[in-house]
Amino acid sequence: MAFRRSIRNRRGRKIIHKDFELQLTSMMDILVIILVFLLKSYATSTNSFSSVPGMKLPISKTQELTPDSLLLIVTPEAITFDNQRVVEFVQTADSLNADQPSYAFKNEDLDEGGMRIARLYDALNHAREKAELLRTKSSARDAEGNPLPFDGVLAIEADKRVKYDTLRKIMYTAGAAQFKVFHLLAMRQDM
Amino acid sequence: MLKRPSARRRSQPAEIQINLVPMLDALVTMISFLMYTMAFLSLTMVESPLPLVSSAQNQQQLKQRPLQLTVTLDDHDVVVWSPFDLIKQEKIQNRQDGTVDVLKLHESLIAIKQKFPTEDKIILVPQKNTSYDTIVTVLDAAKALDKTDPVIVVKNEKTGVQEQAKNLFSEVVFGNLLGDD
Repeated sequence: MAFRRSIRNRRGRKIIHKDFELQLTSMMDILVIILVFLLKSYATSTNSFSSVPGMKLPISKTQELTPDSLLLIVTPEAITFDNQRVVEFVQTADSLNADQPSYAFKNEDLDEGGMRIARLYDALNHAREKAELLRTKSSARDAEGNPLPFDGVLAIEADKRVKYDTLRKIMYTAGAAQFKVFHLLAMRQDM
Repeated sequence: MLKRPSARRRSQPAEIQINLVPMLDALVTMISFLMYTMAFLSLTMVESPLPLVSSAQNQQQLKQRPLQLTVTLDDHDVVVWSPFDLIKQEKIQNRQDGTVDVLKLHESLIAIKQKFPTEDKIILVPQKNTSYDTIVTVLDAAKALDKTDPVIVVKNEKTGVQEQAKNLFSEVVFGNLLGDD
């Protein structure tokens, strides 16, 4: 008897009425809620900054938006500028094991009494020249009809364990390449 | 019994069903677009200009004797001082875990700002081994005013109107960036 009833049920389940319609209202409700949430938390930002996996950024209470600019990333392994690895740090067994990167430069990478990072200086100089050339060709002009001056803004995204000695060398090098304003990037603390 | 002709003509109201499929398509497209373009990494920045070296400017500064508020980060404490002795030097001991006592530093800077409300510049002098995390923490304490902080009134130079200060010391310069330790 039970066997017959189960067969009947199975047959019954297969029957789909012609006037069957999928109830989309509940799905619409869910999608609208997701849409509202996304619109609420949508951050309109003008930059295209990204982070590197494994890098721990410091947290800041500052709520300033980050305008788009040239980005320099300091990872435990190397310095990356404009998506190109420019300088690699010295990697020692101790620093790798202790989870405390050395951020030490090779001697041949430094000049000017160990303050300027030569390869980074070349890369920054090249970027500045490129930016100046683009400004020369651009139709945007100042009041006197001259091309707009190079703004010299450099965004620095560094791991929170980076020491000031390393940062200072980077900023000194950038200053030598006529970058005058530094944007130190950090993770925004939710208020 | 037959119904009256007028009653017979009255037909049952037809069920109106809105076609939700195009709306659903639009919603899915919008959600996909938003999720694709959304910045999941919420970044902020602390601006710091490169210190300018100019002998003429230095001479002018020596005559004017500005506050030139300086915060030196030592291994065990933070020193708040002015090279022209316009404020009393204050040493703020680090916490037991070695981190900077940000609250005390912030309170000290608020007291200075109340004395010099128009001053916006602060010079930060970290040590070679100071971490980037510590620098950002100190910059936060030096730049931002919290909601719970006392109100600091500043006279707007353009309009001449008294306004509430939005920042503590908004312009932070690294004092030893160009070589001096």
